[in-house]
Amino acid sequence: MNARRRRSRFLWDAIGLLLFLVIAFPVYWMVASAFKPDDDLNAFTPTWFSLHPTLSHFSDAIHRPFFWDGVKNSLIVVSVTVALSMVLAFLAAVALAKFRFTGRKAFIVLIIGVQMLPQAGLIIPLYVVLARYHQVNALSGVIVTYMTFVLPFSVWVLRGFLLGIPKELEEAAMVDGSSRLGSFVRILLPLVAPGLVATSIFAFITTWNEYIFARVLLNDQSKQTATVWLSYFYGTSRNTDWGGLMAGSTLIAVPVIVFFLLVQRKIAFGLTAGAVRG
Amino acid sequence: MKVRFFAAAALAAVLAVAASTASARTSGSTRAAADKITVWLQVDAQTGWPDLVAAANQQFQAKHPGTSVDVQYQTWGDHLSKFDATLAGGNTPDVIEMGNTEMTKYMAAGAFANLSSQKSSFPNSKNWLKGLAASGNYNGKTYGVPYYAGSRVVTYRSDLFRKANAKTPTSLAQFTATAKRIMKQNNKRGFSPVYIAGTDWYFAMSFVYDYGGSIAALKGGKWVGQLESRKARAGLAAYKRFFTAASRGSKTGTENRPFPYDVYAHGRAASIVGPAWFSCCVGKKFTKATKQFVMPSHTKGQGMPGFLGGSDLAVPAGSSDKSLAADWIRIFTSTSGERGLQAKGNIPNATNLLGNSVNERAAKRSWFVPTAKNWVNVENGNVLRTMLARILTGKQSIAGATAFADSNIELTLNQ
Amino acid sequence: MTSSEIPSGTAYAAEAALRPRRRRPFTFARVLRGAAPYLLILPVVAVIVAILGYPLYHLARLSFQKYGLFELIAHHGTSVGWANYSSVLHDSVFWHVLVRTIVFTVANVVLAMGIGTLIALLLTKVSSIVRVLLTAALVLAWAMPPVVAVQVWLWMTNSENGVLNYALTKLHVGDYFQHDWYATSFSQLSLATSLIVWGAIPFIVVTVYAGLSQVPHELVEAAEIDGARPWRVFRDVTVPILKPIFLILTSLSIIWDFGVFTQPFLLIDQSRINTSNELMGIYLYEEGYVKTDFGRGAAISILMLLIVALLSVVYVRKMVRAGDEAA
Repeated sequence: MNARRRRSRFLWDAIGLLLFLVIAFPVYWMVASAFKPDDDLNAFTPTWFSLHPTLSHFSDAIHRPFFWDGVKNSLIVVSVTVALSMVLAFLAAVALAKFRFTGRKAFIVLIIGVQMLPQAGLIIPLYVVLARYHQVNALSGVIVTYMTFVLPFSVWVLRGFLLGIPKELEEAAMVDGSSRLGSFVRILLPLVAPGLVATSIFAFITTWNEYIFARVLLNDQSKQTATVWLSYFYGTSRNTDWGGLMAGSTLIAVPVIVFFLLVQRKIAFGLTAGAVRG
Repeated sequence: MKVRFFAAAALAAVLAVAASTASARTSGSTRAAADKITVWLQVDAQTGWPDLVAAANQQFQAKHPGTSVDVQYQTWGDHLSKFDATLAGGNTPDVIEMGNTEMTKYMAAGAFANLSSQKSSFPNSKNWLKGLAASGNYNGKTYGVPYYAGSRVVTYRSDLFRKANAKTPTSLAQFTATAKRIMKQNNKRGFSPVYIAGTDWYFAMSFVYDYGGSIAALKGGKWVGQLESRKARAGLAAYKRFFTAASRGSKTGTENRPFPYDVYAHGRAASIVGPAWFSCCVGKKFTKATKQFVMPSHTKGQGMPGFLGGSDLAVPAGSSDKSLAADWIRIFTSTSGERGLQAKGNIPNATNLLGNSVNERAAKRSWFVPTAKNWVNVENGNVLRTMLARILTGKQSIAGATAFADSNIELTLNQ
Repeated sequence: MTSSEIPSGTAYAAEAALRPRRRRPFTFARVLRGAAPYLLILPVVAVIVAILGYPLYHLARLSFQKYGLFELIAHHGTSVGWANYSSVLHDSVFWHVLVRTIVFTVANVVLAMGIGTLIALLLTKVSSIVRVLLTAALVLAWAMPPVVAVQVWLWMTNSENGVLNYALTKLHVGDYFQHDWYATSFSQLSLATSLIVWGAIPFIVVTVYAGLSQVPHELVEAAEIDGARPWRVFRDVTVPILKPIFLILTSLSIIWDFGVFTQPFLLIDQSRINTSNELMGIYLYEEGYVKTDFGRGAAISILMLLIVALLSVVYVRKMVRAGDEAA
């Protein structure tokens, strides 16, 4: 029994490593390219890694105008969007999952309908609306725009997690005295934490990488987000600076990874600690 | 209770953010006239000649002390959709750089201010390059000021040409013979004496114009496709002959995948055709041996007409500071400004400023796309590319392919 | 308000259904409780309506107008009734694009959901080092902006010096010297699928994995002790609990993959886009934006909305019903 366990674990591990290689390969390629000098990048025979790695692409990228502005603006926009959206979405998800109220179906239609809208069609009307309230070329305009796109799926996914909590857990935890609403929030929050984490990661990444609305809504290069900053690498009519683009992309990815590392423990915690608490 | 707290906190946060960022906004639809003009230039200026922009700004501010200049750099892929949004929202920039093929559509829609009355006040306007000036004209009125241009040249490996005992070809026939000799001497797999992507219509149409044909002409108010004409067909036949003899590039390939200079840098091409700046990226190994010449015509002694790319500067009609905007353009395209652009390898906007670089010599004979407001739809619909692919692969005869392309062009341009 | 007075929400609903109806006192406390759900959803509704309300109305109105660049500058268009819709629905290209997009969507969703779920299950079975590595790879893949991922894909599939051609030739899979991966529509769309699935898997894995954490160990162990094989455990214990999450992910994937634009457009490139490889998102962009026919673009947007709603209605219904059963 033990040997079989070990053998099957070995098999799983082997498959896991193979998948790791396949999935990580494009990322590896991007990061490796960021360190290759231009000659290696353009060489006819692709090389796995350069024998003369260089940091010049990274320093070029950092010294490009508005790099730090781009990172700063993205951090502001994304953290505010994610924080507000998680709070609002969680509350709305509680309402959807735990209450029956008239207008529930209408709210669901709204939530799902918004996600079905082709975003491309909304760019210009949205710009006109925001321009009217002077929210063009302002981070707040971008934040509220992102919230409208993040909220629906966040509500939807969190509702799913709330529904997935077995009833016994809810009732077991419902014993101490407090208002229904307050207890819902305080008790459900830890149980739905893994779902909240997954959703917040998705919200973070989606808004961090969002490009179409950011580039239309923000004109001042000092206000632009990191992804718009990145587009200047390949937006010229001349040749693209591949090394710089790869270095810039690698740098841009760092905050996302940091965020993930900060919150990922909640997922693992849920699984290893067991689902039912004392 | 927690709910209410959260809701209140959220609302407060939104308001705080809105307040803090709203105060930092710079442009709205109503602002004090003449305190600032907004200029949209392409990122090429930011990386290529920021000093020229700074000099122009300084001069402008010296002349208009109360007005500042806000230059916002744009990328080629996005700037039109951003421009559309500002047109809808009513907060367009005061000056915008447009690619010369992008102008007609916007001129026809009334996006720009009419500069005809001020035309003579722009530096060197009497000598503006014909090709560029035409792109800024619509219905006899001037809407765009030529900014700079670029032509197409042949970038080649002088060492391989020397080995084939070839001098700079003065006719197409001579070039073809050279290519055949180079092919014999370098018969490696995938090697092209002249690397050409099959559907590179910028190059292929040069042959059409060289033989006296054209793409489309306005007759009696309607656009009529001209590719079926005898002369155009002769040009396409010449293109097919040249391609077959000189290029091992893909017959259906495009000129951006792979980039010709990459093929060249890998040692897989003895020469490539494209903008003059291709020489930047030919790889360390071949940089020393790389030179350029003007693509020769089938008529000995002259160059083949090259596609004249370039940019114009226009003043959107909704600008509230049109005279200041025009003044900024005047300063930026002054003779010294154009000389500065020339020094960076561009073609200046007037014939009296032209020098003798290969780029500028190639611009002596040039062609331009039909100035129809729907022309970009023909380009984006890949009509010419489809035609070339069919001709080169033999899927259709030249007669059949051109007839089909002409009907598409007429349908699109006359919409 | 004491706990004895207020049973849990779930039991409350059941009780209310069984109890004989009686009048309930109209106190402030009860009003507040009744208003609770509305207060909870109010912020979300407010944000969405405030930002998207007018644009949506404007989009619908646009679809009934002739609205090109000229009208955009003049700030008003001319009404043409159903002409935009009629022209789109009578365009045979539209129907070909629709079928192609549906096939594309099914392929992407099935691949992403299938592979994603398998990887999530695998994560529970591997040792912690492999789990960390695999999760790291997934997060990195997730974190890459689509435009950058496209550039990397283009680079790897470059006909000249792409690593894909190089590796396939070296491994003697065939002669891929200067093979152009973007020559046929099938090849182009397959590469787009690989890119999209690669980018979609991380979210699915993380979400399903998080969902698996809600499956009580006791139930799983009980089933295993009873002698059930892994597949049966999965089918009978895990799937029912994960059902809401599967339904959500599937419906979201359908919605996103149907309208996907960035990856296929950048991968195939404007110079190779034609009617035989357009997907719905690209078709909308070409007809509406490239041709600057905003009225027609709006009509296509509304049609896309209706089609996607139709495609996902089955899953959405199931989700709503699953929610009702659990609540």
